[in-house]
Amino acid sequence: MKQQRLYILIGAAAAATMGWCGMAVAQGQGLEQLMAKSSNWATQAGDYANHRYSDLKQIDSSNVGQLQVAWTMSTGVLRGHEGSPLVIGDTLYLHTPFPNNVYAVNLKDQSFKWKYEPKQNTDVVPVMCCDTVNRGLAYGNGKILLQQADTTLVALDANTGKVLWTAKNGDPKIGETNTNAPHVFKDKVITGISGGEFGVRGRLIAYDLNSGKKVWTAWSTGPDQELLVDPQKTMTWTNGKLAPVGADSSIKTWKGDQWKLGGGTTWGWYAYDPKLNLVYYGTGNPGTWNPAQRPGDNRWSMTIFARDLDTGMAKWAYQMTPHDEWDFDGINEMLLVDLTIKGKKVPSLVHFDRNGFGYTLNRESGELLVAQKYDPKVNWATSVDMKTGRPIVDKKFSPGTTGPDVNVKDICPAALGSKDQQPASYDRKSGLIMVPTNHVCMTYEPFQVEYTAGQPFVGATLTMYPTPGSHGGMGNFIAWDAAQGKIVWSKPERFSVWSGALTTAGDIVFYGTLEGYIKAVSTKDGKELWKFKTPSGIIGNVFTYEYGGKQYVGTYSGIGGWAGIGMAAGLTGNTEGLGAVGGYKDLAKYTTLGGSLFVFALPDSARTASR
Amino acid sequence: MKRFLMVLALGLSSASVADNASIDLYQVQDGTKVDAKTLMGWKTWRALACERCHGAQQEGLVGPSLIDSLKVLSKEDFHTTIMKGRPEKGMPNFDTSQMVTQNWEGLYAYLKGRSDGKIQPGHLYPIESK
Repeated sequence: MKQQRLYILIGAAAAATMGWCGMAVAQGQGLEQLMAKSSNWATQAGDYANHRYSDLKQIDSSNVGQLQVAWTMSTGVLRGHEGSPLVIGDTLYLHTPFPNNVYAVNLKDQSFKWKYEPKQNTDVVPVMCCDTVNRGLAYGNGKILLQQADTTLVALDANTGKVLWTAKNGDPKIGETNTNAPHVFKDKVITGISGGEFGVRGRLIAYDLNSGKKVWTAWSTGPDQELLVDPQKTMTWTNGKLAPVGADSSIKTWKGDQWKLGGGTTWGWYAYDPKLNLVYYGTGNPGTWNPAQRPGDNRWSMTIFARDLDTGMAKWAYQMTPHDEWDFDGINEMLLVDLTIKGKKVPSLVHFDRNGFGYTLNRESGELLVAQKYDPKVNWATSVDMKTGRPIVDKKFSPGTTGPDVNVKDICPAALGSKDQQPASYDRKSGLIMVPTNHVCMTYEPFQVEYTAGQPFVGATLTMYPTPGSHGGMGNFIAWDAAQGKIVWSKPERFSVWSGALTTAGDIVFYGTLEGYIKAVSTKDGKELWKFKTPSGIIGNVFTYEYGGKQYVGTYSGIGGWAGIGMAAGLTGNTEGLGAVGGYKDLAKYTTLGGSLFVFALPDSARTASR
Repeated sequence: MKRFLMVLALGLSSASVADNASIDLYQVQDGTKVDAKTLMGWKTWRALACERCHGAQQEGLVGPSLIDSLKVLSKEDFHTTIMKGRPEKGMPNFDTSQMVTQNWEGLYAYLKGRSDGKIQPGHLYPIESK
């Protein structure tokens, strides 16, 4: 489709500068221009760099206490609502969990412009490990991109909802599904694959935005040519320096051909640096949770990759958790920020891993700069050896050391990590990162498994519970100094904060809770300034936009995801839901299933007063 | 929460096993300690993730309740079903699984013990030999 510039352009630029967007859809503009306008929320993170930050400041720390519901909408679907809608000009694009409906909503009167309701085979649902979530849509070049659960990637005409092209990305019969949001970077759509609990072999895939043609596939495990690494040029941090990964960097870290079921799935949030033309993302757990069955470092599971957007070739890779024994997937978002470290300005990448360490690397070179615990109760490793880049594992909490059929107790964090997919937010004003976290520990008993295509390939029984010897809750919301690797403030929460944060120029940060509160706290000290109870638990990401001169803040309300799987799927056994059901059973006291969008704004009186 | 119920009426056709025939099949103490063969049967159940379709307590989910099925299914029909599967109904064939081919009788014993109400759901342990 080459007519991107032909879409309705009438007065879009003028409307935006005047803060009046009632008549024009700004879809003809390039994504980068749309992101630059803070009235839009044009990507899942608001930008390429995963900042989740907005310059809007009509709502600020002095008036946020007066925030009111502006409008609401049912999504028509229950179960877990992750991600957020997009807003471009006068249109909000809403998505749902399976069956992955898409609605274009006219912000003028909240009427539907169009609806897309895909028909997917329900057989995909039982092979989704941790609820039927979908992390949202992408926009690019007049198209809305939807990554369906059944692995179909769909490009819709943003104006009409008409299907422009589709591409098939995997096979649900062997446990391959999708939960990730597709990401549009320049002229490509980047997507991944889920199924780390089914022996799926992970990869990142790039499609041409206009034609839907596959451009490259970069596997997480296997031979060099399939990994898209250059043994001499792709670098990794080792022995206190960057060195080439060398030949067969993946297959020599697996026994036999186990890499074929090797995991390393790619269901998180990706980032892009246009200057370096590099895409950043993390890979998930290695195949089977029973470490005794897969000796070796199991590369490149649990790895941060930096790849050239055009070719997919890896510039550098860094494996955080070699030979995983805890299911600490490395898929969490990469925040691209520029930091001053030891007096030097560094183009940095910050990543809060499931394993409980907050990493800062030089995003250009792959040099490891900081690796510190962002929850002081993390105990599976005492620290990260900054020379080798490897964690120093405490044998007491190592199911790979104790072996199969031994139940290892009080490992912190639990498998769902000190943080899971819920994305953090970078406060551009203070330079701090606002991080929604889990505060959960576990028991872990690995056992022997055998692979059958389409059947779970897990091999561990888990239970989860609030971190012992702490405040009794299962979460914290923290502010993190990524240059120092230090917690600046920490606000305890009853449950894991499974909602993506949003920081604004109004010196406030928003997030949702599993009980269903959306909260605003001060970026300075974490003091709670406002909260509102939505009908269901919040696992979606808070977003903001401006329309008709008014700032709005919104979130999905709909419990589910891994933490809420018990409620979403009707499970009751403590060890079900990969151990999450027992840990989060108290959620039933506070909330129940839902599926709605809540949007808030200040009353006119408060806006007048703040001027 | 409604699940995707593909109700499988597993083996209702072959109700020929006598009620007490299972007594020698397995040994159980305190509901959670079993003989070595039955223990391997449970480990096979766990390794192949059978609970995903049949439920953590064999109560049935997408697949049928094995508490009910094992009351009527003959050992021979059990063997045929697990080895060849019922692909049209979503049950995979497990004849390529080493654990299943080695331990299917133990698995039968385990499920029979569950169906008889003699073995408790969840984790099992070996009978301590003294």
